[in-house]
Amino acid sequence: MDKVKEQNPKIKEYKKENPFRLFTDHLQAVGAGLKYMISPQRITIKYPEESLSLPTGYRGMIRLYKDICIGCTLCALICPADAMKMVTEEGKKLPSINYGRCVFCGFCVDVCPVDALKETRVHDATFTNRRDLVFRPDRFSQDFDEPAPVEGVVKKVKAIIDEKKGIRYVPDE
Amino acid sequence: MLSLSHIISLIKFYLFYPSFFAVIIFPGLIFTTVILLVTIWFERKAAARVQMRIGPLYVSKRTGGLLQLVADAIRIVFSEIIIPNGVNPTLYVLAPVLPLAFSFIPMVLIPFSSIPQSGSVLSPYYYDFYDPEIGQGVLVGYFVEYNMVLVLGILAIIPIFILLQAWATNNRFAILGAVRESLLSVSYDVLILMAVVAIALEYHTLDIARVVATGIPGIIANPLAALVFFVGMIMGTGRFPFDIVEADTELVLGPATEYSGFLFVLAMGGGYIATFAYSFIFADLFLSGWAPLSGLPGALITSIKAILVLWFSVFLRSVYGRYRLDQALRGSWKYLLPVAFASIILGLVVGWIWIR
Repeated sequence: MDKVKEQNPKIKEYKKENPFRLFTDHLQAVGAGLKYMISPQRITIKYPEESLSLPTGYRGMIRLYKDICIGCTLCALICPADAMKMVTEEGKKLPSINYGRCVFCGFCVDVCPVDALKETRVHDATFTNRRDLVFRPDRFSQDFDEPAPVEGVVKKVKAIIDEKKGIRYVPDE
Repeated sequence: MLSLSHIISLIKFYLFYPSFFAVIIFPGLIFTTVILLVTIWFERKAAARVQMRIGPLYVSKRTGGLLQLVADAIRIVFSEIIIPNGVNPTLYVLAPVLPLAFSFIPMVLIPFSSIPQSGSVLSPYYYDFYDPEIGQGVLVGYFVEYNMVLVLGILAIIPIFILLQAWATNNRFAILGAVRESLLSVSYDVLILMAVVAIALEYHTLDIARVVATGIPGIIANPLAALVFFVGMIMGTGRFPFDIVEADTELVLGPATEYSGFLFVLAMGGGYIATFAYSFIFADLFLSGWAPLSGLPGALITSIKAILVLWFSVFLRSVYGRYRLDQALRGSWKYLLPVAFASIILGLVVGWIWIR
């Protein structure tokens, strides 16, 4: 401890700053703000009108193929969020899913020995109450094709890296 | 018998009477409330533009989401006012009203424009609001010859009511915010007063109207005082980067933590109205207020200048983060206090040489 003190006899709490330099720094900051204020570089996507086209491997809503399922309960066992539950329908065990808990990890799809679960490419879904979030096997084994809640043209855009702006969106397809 | 034109002229006389017109209608209460709403909209939009967002948009797309503020105001005003257990209800309700009132009272005393002897709609009140220092009438709610001192004295009371607000709500976040306010207030009040003293010495007067009537904008005559006053003003009214009292990431909302509904609007509106009052003082002292004009157009010019100052001070939200309390105190005592002294000396020298 004493050695350190000998090496740095003057330990200052704050480093010394040039006050005139500080003032110009403040002016620079305000100037940069004003520059962005006058010519904004917005990167917001106006969602219902335009949406990002997602890559093929992007995990979406899960769909069950009822006839293939053998009721092995592996999906319910592996589910880390307790979203999958097995229910018995007409003597057959089938999974049901609660999207209120689902974290879209895809473990259930990976673990299924007969490929009865599949990830669809549906990502935009809205529900008006929590009961609708639970998908019983009959609903779970249908394609999820509820219409989008907002009317309006969904324009697909994709993000590309721009040297000046950082991110720029160009129309996809 | 009173004829119709007589009644109309009577109504016109009392409508444009400065004590009513300047306080309630034009640069006063109604105008201030509208400006307050537009300012909060501007604050959100400006921060959004700088931070690469869009800001409020979907409520009335054509005006860029201007009605969002009206919608928010209606929602907040009609939400429930919750009075916590264990507080004194009278003080609890009174605490946010008092800072708002005392932020607004300076608007009664700040001169907004001068009144020429003839030719203006305000000319009938020339003798009632005659200012011997400038030899003209002034458009002001209540004319006091030493209004510079009185205005700052009233604005300096506000921190006490902020302390009262925290004390009345009996909340730990509020108490912490109030402690910060009490520490800050000693530093910004000194800065504001020293800047104003510099101007008073420079223009040889304590009347704001006299400073404007001199015709030299204070920002040219004494730029140091303008800088010190502006920093003291944003520090005193809790604008960024001195949003230390209401630091919403550390202390939920500082002294306004416990308030909800309409009382919350009052608690938050006080700061904005104080900023507007300070902006009027800034426009008068440093931007030469109504300088080329007089009468109602002069009041309009003063208001536009004040709104620009107000909008610049809320624009700073998008540029700065928040200073720590010790950084703000260090900045004000170590860097700005010497600048304030320098501004007083500059004011003395310039007042001796240039301004008579």
